Amino acid sequence: MPLSRIELLQGTLDMIVLQSLRWGPRHGYGLVQMIRTNSRGVLQVDTGSLYPALHRLEREGSIDASWEVSENRQRVRVYRLTPFGRKRLAAERSRWEQLSDAIAGIFTPPLQEET
Amino acid sequence: MTSFWRSHKRRENDLDDEIRAHLDMATRDRIARGESPENAARAARREFGDVVTVREVTGDMWSGQSFARIAQDVRWAVRSLRRAPGFTIVAILTLALGIGANTAIFSVVNGVLLEPLPFPQSHQLVYITSQFPTLGFDQFPVDAAEYLELRERNRSFQDVGAYVTSAVNIGAEGHPARVTSAIVTASLFPTLGVAPRLGRTFTPEEMLPNAAAVAVLSSELWQSAFAGDRGIIGRQIDVDGAKTTVVGIMPPGFDVHDQNVKIWLPLTLDPAQRQQFRGGHFLLLVGRLAPNLTLARAKAELQTLLAQWPAIDGNDPNAGPGAPGFVHTPNTTKHRLRYDDLQKDMVGSIGTALVVLQAAVALVLLIACANMANLLLMRAETRHKELAVRAALGAGRTRLMRQFVAESLVLSVTGAAAGLALAYWGLHALVAANAGSIPRAASVTLDAPVLVFTLVLAIGTGLLFSLAPLLHLSANSIGLALRDAGSRTTAGAARNRVRRGLVIAEMAFAVMLVVGAGLLLRSFWNLMRVDSGFDRAKLTTFGVVLPASTYRDSTRRVAFFNNLTSQLAAVPGVRSVAAMSGLPPLRQVNANDTGIEGFVPTPNGPAQNVDYYQYVTPNYVQTMGIPVVAGRAFGPSDGPLSTPVAMINQTMAKVFYGKSDPIGRRVQPGGSKTWFTIIGVLKDVKQGGVDSRTGTELYFDYEQTPASLGFAPRNMNVIIRSSLEPATIAGTVRRTVGALDPTLPIVQFRSMDEVFSDSVSRPRFLAQLLGIFAAVALALAAIGTYGVLAYSVAVRRRELGIRMALGSSQKGLLQLVLGQGMGLAALGLIAGLLGALAVTRLASSLLFGVKPADPLTFGGVALFMLLVAFLACLVPARRATHVDPLVALRAE
Repeated sequence: MPLSRIELLQGTLDMIVLQSLRWGPRHGYGLVQMIRTNSRGVLQVDTGSLYPALHRLEREGSIDASWEVSENRQRVRVYRLTPFGRKRLAAERSRWEQLSDAIAGIFTPPLQEET
Repeated sequence: MTSFWRSHKRRENDLDDEIRAHLDMATRDRIARGESPENAARAARREFGDVVTVREVTGDMWSGQSFARIAQDVRWAVRSLRRAPGFTIVAILTLALGIGANTAIFSVVNGVLLEPLPFPQSHQLVYITSQFPTLGFDQFPVDAAEYLELRERNRSFQDVGAYVTSAVNIGAEGHPARVTSAIVTASLFPTLGVAPRLGRTFTPEEMLPNAAAVAVLSSELWQSAFAGDRGIIGRQIDVDGAKTTVVGIMPPGFDVHDQNVKIWLPLTLDPAQRQQFRGGHFLLLVGRLAPNLTLARAKAELQTLLAQWPAIDGNDPNAGPGAPGFVHTPNTTKHRLRYDDLQKDMVGSIGTALVVLQAAVALVLLIACANMANLLLMRAETRHKELAVRAALGAGRTRLMRQFVAESLVLSVTGAAAGLALAYWGLHALVAANAGSIPRAASVTLDAPVLVFTLVLAIGTGLLFSLAPLLHLSANSIGLALRDAGSRTTAGAARNRVRRGLVIAEMAFAVMLVVGAGLLLRSFWNLMRVDSGFDRAKLTTFGVVLPASTYRDSTRRVAFFNNLTSQLAAVPGVRSVAAMSGLPPLRQVNANDTGIEGFVPTPNGPAQNVDYYQYVTPNYVQTMGIPVVAGRAFGPSDGPLSTPVAMINQTMAKVFYGKSDPIGRRVQPGGSKTWFTIIGVLKDVKQGGVDSRTGTELYFDYEQTPASLGFAPRNMNVIIRSSLEPATIAGTVRRTVGALDPTLPIVQFRSMDEVFSDSVSRPRFLAQLLGIFAAVALALAAIGTYGVLAYSVAVRRRELGIRMALGSSQKGLLQLVLGQGMGLAALGLIAGLLGALAVTRLASSLLFGVKPADPLTFGGVALFMLLVAFLACLVPARRATHVDPLVALRAE
């Protein structure tokens, strides 16, 4: 079973979106596909969360958007990371690493405290 | 703003395109994987989720600026209200009723109390009357000598004008018409500060005796009788039979003291003859204060003037009638002048009534708001899941809050628009039905200040009742919402408290209104039951005024009414006919100085003055059906030339004769040399209003007046006692009067019941309006109580089911729910009765024959309200007893 959507909300989702855009500009549908593939199908991004997140990030200046024509001659809105977004991603990432270390610490506590 | 709007619009279109592209790509990928095109499109859409919500929430991320945000909130609100048409219609109707009533009453308050009078610098205008404290007259006309003296000696006023209103017959090209006239000094027009629209007003020379007859017309009369012909200036028209030259036309709406004056005539007042006018109190005065002078300063100056007055005109203020030098000289004790703000005086006692009505409709609106708050609160609870999803998708709490407010405002503004239509219609009905009892009715309109009031009211109420569902947005309630039905949490308990509080408040407000309406209804009932002193049923009356020019000889007047009454008496179905000078029950006090033979004045005793003189034809007592208490009524033996006789009423007998017998004693009208012998005492007739004390009254035989007093009144009221309806005899009356004198108009043809009913039109209008408002309040409060209880039964189904499964009887459950509802009602009732007790005292001037804390009214209202509350609780309580335990338990 994939992770619950609720745990992907906001903070985490922002980070995932920013990280995915590091590999190059992408449209919304492409991001959904990419996140699913890169997480080996574990993370199912809900569009109801993705689009609000994209537009929120666009508004705060972390990403930029422009209309382009895809290889299928489809008019698509493509998002790319801005320098500000890069900085934000770094900050998000270090916060995430702290959190994930802390949680890992809880699951594998140092031995001396167990005795 | 427009460029901003455009960019907002573009972003919305972009978002649509973006979502469409997403769906297209997903569909294409699925087709490439081998799905059929229809299945692929459907699956892509399913995978995407709710397009509308996604679009909305995503669009939200951009709505930083207020305008687009508000537009968006409003559209969201309209959409969500459309999805609940039942709720929306009930809400808008409730608000339309509440706001419409407030708008209608406020436009009356605004037109009557708040708008200044239509004169330049109208705050400078002062209404000047006189007082006779020892006679009990608080506001009485001024005599012409006093007017001249005041105008010469005061330093407070720029000018002072005088007038007296009456009615004249106008020969307007064909039919005679009777119109309200004002006889005025030349100074009145400049004092009021209004110039004629055509021609001129009067000159001081036109006030001298033997000046040529002139008149100024109102615009309304000029239009209706002379078709707005500009050539009327300088032409002669027929006024009361005399050729009179029209010299000017006043602007539309020009009037004095709300008298609806149609024609203005000059007062004949020769300053050289000043002393002979003393004691004839008939003028009303308007003064214009000097710039920057206050009314208080003018009143202070008046005290000085009054102290000097007796010394200046050399009269003894303490002399009685008959004594040398007996006149009413202004002084500081027995007779003085009185200054009032003109507008305040015109508005008079209706101020209290209007404040009461405005308070009443405000209560109705508060009840409506409480109902709305309850409705919205319940609605918010049933939408718990929807709200939680929106919150989860990232709609911030402020956003949800704004959406609640937007929904409330959409409701209240729509309600206000409907209310405005209701007020427009209601106001017309109200003014039309109460033409006589609302002063300044012409200025009562839905004008700009009223519209602003309504808008403010709409926004204010919208914000007020949107507070309730906002309570819902406490942080934890949303967090819990996805998993919890909400009603069993602590937040649910808080909301229940709010709901109960609202019901109690509604009930309390409704109780206050019903008590107020009850008191006014009892007052009106008491007014209608007042003994008028005669038999009102089957009595018809109309007025005839004989023009002075064609009926100069008073014996001709007597002959005219003798002919008229005897011809009408011969009509089949007519039992008896008479004529009288004064028509009860709304006569102005005449306050005639009268010598009472053998009466010994005492310092604090009554003055020798009689409130009402009444001139009557011989059949008067019999036609009116007034019981003769002592002695006899005028009869055939009292011929025009026999001993002058008089009758008095019971009050006069008591005031001047006490326990002794008045029959055979004599009285002498002031200024006359004739003594009249009292031959009978009549039961009191209410002359000065059914709610006022009965004054002293002296009756003269109309036939005797030419010989005994040297004059006869020209203005008489004919009374017909007949089994026929007034409408049936109207034609006969018209023909009979026309045959005697075709130039005479008939005025005020009515049944005596109508005359009395008209005299209490203001209390009736008040009682009716308050009754309507109380009924609306009651209905709203009952609906509110029902709604809250029904809702609480619905959410407690599970609990009720468990109780039933554990062996509670149906009766037990009924009592449980009824007890809960009646408990709320009882609390509301107590609060309402206490509130009513506190405020009815303030309106005691509107009550008649009933105390502000009337136990019967309060008790009756209490019982009635409990009954209404019981009925409102019964339906949901019965529903509780029909809960099926199995269904209830399985439902959650």
